[in-house]
Amino acid sequence: MLLRGLTWLVLFQLFGTALNVLLLPMLPGPIIGMLLLFVFLLLRGEVGEPLTVAASGLLRYLPLLLVPAAVGVMVYAEAIIADFWAIVGALVLSLLLSLVFTGWLMQALIERQARRREAP
Amino acid sequence: MNLDWPAAWQALIHHPLFGVGITLGTYQLALAAYERTHWRLLKPLLQPVLLSMLLVIGVLLACGLNYREYQQSAQLLIILLGPSTVALAVPLFVNLRRIRQLLWPTLLTLLIAGVVATLLGVVLAWALGAEPMILMTMAPKSVTSPIAMLVAEQIGGVAALAAVFVLITGVLGAMCGPELLRRVGVQHPAALGMALGLTAHAVGTAQALQESEESGAFAALAMSLMGVATAVFLPLVVALLV
Repeated sequence: MLLRGLTWLVLFQLFGTALNVLLLPMLPGPIIGMLLLFVFLLLRGEVGEPLTVAASGLLRYLPLLLVPAAVGVMVYAEAIIADFWAIVGALVLSLLLSLVFTGWLMQALIERQARRREAP
Repeated sequence: MNLDWPAAWQALIHHPLFGVGITLGTYQLALAAYERTHWRLLKPLLQPVLLSMLLVIGVLLACGLNYREYQQSAQLLIILLGPSTVALAVPLFVNLRRIRQLLWPTLLTLLIAGVVATLLGVVLAWALGAEPMILMTMAPKSVTSPIAMLVAEQIGGVAALAAVFVLITGVLGAMCGPELLRRVGVQHPAALGMALGLTAHAVGTAQALQESEESGAFAALAMSLMGVATAVFLPLVVALLV
């Protein structure tokens, strides 16, 4: 089961990589693979058992897989220190502002939709 | 008997699986520390990725290994990131069916708030005097790391730095998101989840799941859609502008 699901995932990534070289150099191969798989699932209308098993297995360990990439920060310690306040300031401010804005916008839109449905 | 300790030590730290070994070890340590802590203020600081990253860096420095060598010996884990990115299509599909009713508010919020979140980071960093490399790395900070890293690399940023920006953003969002949103009067679970997933990706989604199941579902949806939209449109926009 797990192997069959994994095979699908790897196949879609390989397709994605081929398309990336052939037609879409601005989109990363794995992302094209994800879009292809999504379209495939839409056409099929359901997620098969092997894919569910493989996807949930991999995604459960996604944080672990991100650790080696995150360790790469040690190479850029100097660049971060050089722009330290710009980086921290921009990250904190933009996060807080967009967090509040997103929540507020979504709530306003949901309320508007509810009002429209009540008064047809 | 004369044992050659230094030779054994060298063989150990230069073994092609050393990177995999220390990553697996520190990650499980970090996970255990995270689960055992009940002090809420400390918990976000013990974010497993953050903690195991720091531990791995510590081990590498102590052993005198550089990042390139670690990268080679952790290849087994790095190579799995691609199929994991493809696998994100599965929760996206599952959630898309669950959330049909709020389709328009969701799509509109994604479009407007997604653009605002991305622009705000870049503009603020620019206003505070960061260099172009940092700006391009800052742009995809609101999406889940595999996408952010790929996109950052594509548009002239640095993948590893993008991972760190994403991490800081996620941890901060999960840390103060729910409290902040409640203070400004956002109560709808879908709105709460949307805000957490769209701005704070995976870490925010995990936090939203703790708030309620509906929040969690919307956070997962927002995270996936924001990820795909960023992956598709950000490189296009940058290619057109620069």
